[in-house]
Amino acid sequence: MTATLATAPEQPVERLPVPPRPRRTAGLAGAAVLVLVLVGVHVWAWIATDFSIGALVEGWSGITDFLGDAIPPDLDWAEVVQPGLKACGVTLAIGLMGTTLSIPTSLVLAVLGARPTSRNPVAYQVARAVMSFFRAVPDIVFALIFVTAVGLGPFAGVLAIICHNTGIMAKLWSESMEEIETGPIDALRIAGASSPQLAAHVVLPSVVPQLVGLLLYRFDVNVRSSLVLGLVGAGGIGFLINQSISLFAFDQMLTYILMVLVLVVVVDVASGYVRRRLAE
Amino acid sequence: MSAPALTPVARPVAAAEVLSIRGLRKTYAERTVLEGVDLGVAAGELVALLGANGSGKSTVLKCVVGLAQADGGTVSIAGADERPGAAMVFQQIHLVRRRSVLDNVCAGALGRLSLRRSWSTSAFPRALREESMACLDRVGLADRAHDRAGRLSGGQQQRVAIARALCQRAPVLLADEPVSALDPEAAEQVMELLRRLADDGIAVAAVLHQPDLARRHADRLVGLQQGRIVFSGSPEEIAEDEVRALYTTGGAR
Ligand SMILES: Nc1ncnc2c1ncn2[C@@H]1O[C@H](COP(=O)(O)OP(=O)(O)O)[C@@H](O)[C@H]1O
Ligand SMILES: [Mg+2]
Repeated sequence: MTATLATAPEQPVERLPVPPRPRRTAGLAGAAVLVLVLVGVHVWAWIATDFSIGALVEGWSGITDFLGDAIPPDLDWAEVVQPGLKACGVTLAIGLMGTTLSIPTSLVLAVLGARPTSRNPVAYQVARAVMSFFRAVPDIVFALIFVTAVGLGPFAGVLAIICHNTGIMAKLWSESMEEIETGPIDALRIAGASSPQLAAHVVLPSVVPQLVGLLLYRFDVNVRSSLVLGLVGAGGIGFLINQSISLFAFDQMLTYILMVLVLVVVVDVASGYVRRRLAE
Repeated sequence: MSAPALTPVARPVAAAEVLSIRGLRKTYAERTVLEGVDLGVAAGELVALLGANGSGKSTVLKCVVGLAQADGGTVSIAGADERPGAAMVFQQIHLVRRRSVLDNVCAGALGRLSLRRSWSTSAFPRALREESMACLDRVGLADRAHDRAGRLSGGQQQRVAIARALCQRAPVLLADEPVSALDPEAAEQVMELLRRLADDGIAVAAVLHQPDLARRHADRLVGLQQGRIVFSGSPEEIAEDEVRALYTTGGAR
């Protein structure tokens, strides 16, 4: 087979000297200053956080004692595993309700806070400000507020996630809306379409896959934050973990943590799978 | 369409002029892009706008539809005082690719629909769907109504964009390099379509980079160079050298 192919004549390899790059002394000085500043802030942060390898070594025996108490995990069905499974369900439900109920508020804020769909500069600025506020307040702070309002339990967790997730999801959604190509918008503006019509007929249909992907990603994150909310009294498996620690029942705590691990991995894999299918 | 009362005997074309551009000037940050452009397009006329890249062709069209604001001069469209009087199609086509062909065509009518009749595609009136089917039929794509727009070939998508423009019911159709991204066969089809629409009475102005296509299909060739019109006449009146000079002598800035 190779015999029938003519061999191509070998091409001579040419080389040219690379001209020297112009040196920028200003750039070098700037880099030196930058390195100094970075080292400085890290020294400050080391001191501010009482960072101490010695303390970690000294405390090591405490950790091993703690682990000794925790292993083996307590797998008593009626006392530990069954309530744990139920609490996992509650945690999942908090994440689900919080995510789903923040869809309408996020959608309204995202449409008002995205350039292509928001022609009114006042509405745009207000929407951006509202998003920033709800994003800036951590969900755990919302949870503490709602626990005092509606009492301990999962409902406070749901309200907290709705608030914080609205801020984040509206921001993510408005960003995907701003990334779409403006050509179809121009074409329909020429036809006299209004901003709400452009949102309904150009922007939303173009970004639906991105919006759903971000929604699933947020569900994933919200299930994990509902765990943390449980620690401050918003119910679910986080609450049981907190309880077992305060009762020094570390073997129960380990069981719950293992359950959380499974829950988080399952949610992560499932939402990742759906997002990949959507991207195709 | 009530044409402006001009002198019908002396200049028969001007009498039926639907799109009138007079002394159009446009400056982008110190740079003058259009230096007084006069252009009229009559009902039933297909005008080919020729010129090198950067000569200002797109800017003329954008000033007509309001995508750019002119700094001087006037643009008037007969019989279109309130509603958008000109529709436009683009080289990049700009359909909503995830929507069906029919929904894309219906969207051309958004300007005359209340929000109650247009907040979603399911709210579109039946009469609009039927009108859109007729528009699709005019471009020869009625059988693709329920396909996703993004699944069609480039030439077909450009014809859908033209159907969407028809659904706008504008007396003027502007086309900015409508065939520059198409293969010769699809380009020919689109040009034949624009020719037919002009014959049906629409005033069509198309930016073209193919002088031969322009000569074969257009009634008039208009040459733009550095923001000025340097020639305007029927394909017979304009010599090939004149067209070639657009691209060779100081065309590019
Ligand atoms: N938005 C803009 N800002 C600044 N300059 C622009 C803008 N749009 C067009 N121009 C300039 O105006 C000139 C004419 O552009 P255009 O009308 O697009 O040319 P053509 O369509 O004939 O190729 C070009 O030199 C271009 O760089
Ligand atoms: Mg152009």
